[in-house]
Amino acid sequence: MFLQQGPADTVNFMIMGFSVILGTMALYIVSLVLRARSLRKDQAVLDEIDE
Amino acid sequence: MKAMPTGLKVLNWITGLVFAVALYLVFFYAPREAVMGEVQRVFYFHVAAGWVGALAFLVTAIAGVIILTKADRRWDRVALASVEIGVIFTFINIVSGSIWARPIWNTWWTWDPRLTTATIMELIYIAYLMLRQGIEDPDRRARFGAVYGIVGFISVPLTFLSIRIFRTIHPVVIGNNDPGAEGTFDMTPRMQTAFFFSLITFTFVYATLLWHRLRLQDFREYIEERKMQALAT
Repeated sequence: MFLQQGPADTVNFMIMGFSVILGTMALYIVSLVLRARSLRKDQAVLDEIDE
Repeated sequence: MKAMPTGLKVLNWITGLVFAVALYLVFFYAPREAVMGEVQRVFYFHVAAGWVGALAFLVTAIAGVIILTKADRRWDRVALASVEIGVIFTFINIVSGSIWARPIWNTWWTWDPRLTTATIMELIYIAYLMLRQGIEDPDRRARFGAVYGIVGFISVPLTFLSIRIFRTIHPVVIGNNDPGAEGTFDMTPRMQTAFFFSLITFTFVYATLLWHRLRLQDFREYIEERKMQALAT
């Protein structure tokens, strides 16, 4: 690729790279939300037991 | 879970805003690199993710020192939350680097010193998360985590310095490149702006995620305590 005239056509790799970066960050945020939701359900059950 | 504090709400908005600006700078403000083309834009977030990994593991080591000197178990939550975020961002760093490498080095992976040390660092901290789960006693777990976090931190400067000490094909962003480095480029002023802004943006992302993860940990410990009380009665 270093013998070519213009920039290499690497758009697909850029899309793949940003998909991994933004996708992994989004998945982590979703995991935080799901874990909090699961704990809230536990809290509701504990509240019921206390009553 | 307690209501979200105003400070965290403000931080959420600031982080969202700077992230949007960073995306604009990376995709529209920074020029296309003359040889590598569009894939070079991965560089801005690739390095920023690596920075967050290093910062997170540094925070874990500092928390470890505080746990050992002050016997304050609250810092164990900080250490755990920080390692979790560090592992996520180091993963992003390694995988995005591999994708960037494919068209530039003509391979997805090579056992170059930087790639090898970064992988070892990632595995060290994945092991931290796994080994913690095997210790029941919270005080022992905190002390173990503290020592592990301090010793494990040796892998961070080693990873940073690997491309400056050993022969490598991995480019050096700041400083002199190895003659064998492939994928090097000179940053234009616009590229530098996008680069440094990305570093600041990811630091905000780290702070925001750490705060959220700490709140989750507090909530988890509160629920576990209540479960123990319910079982005891």
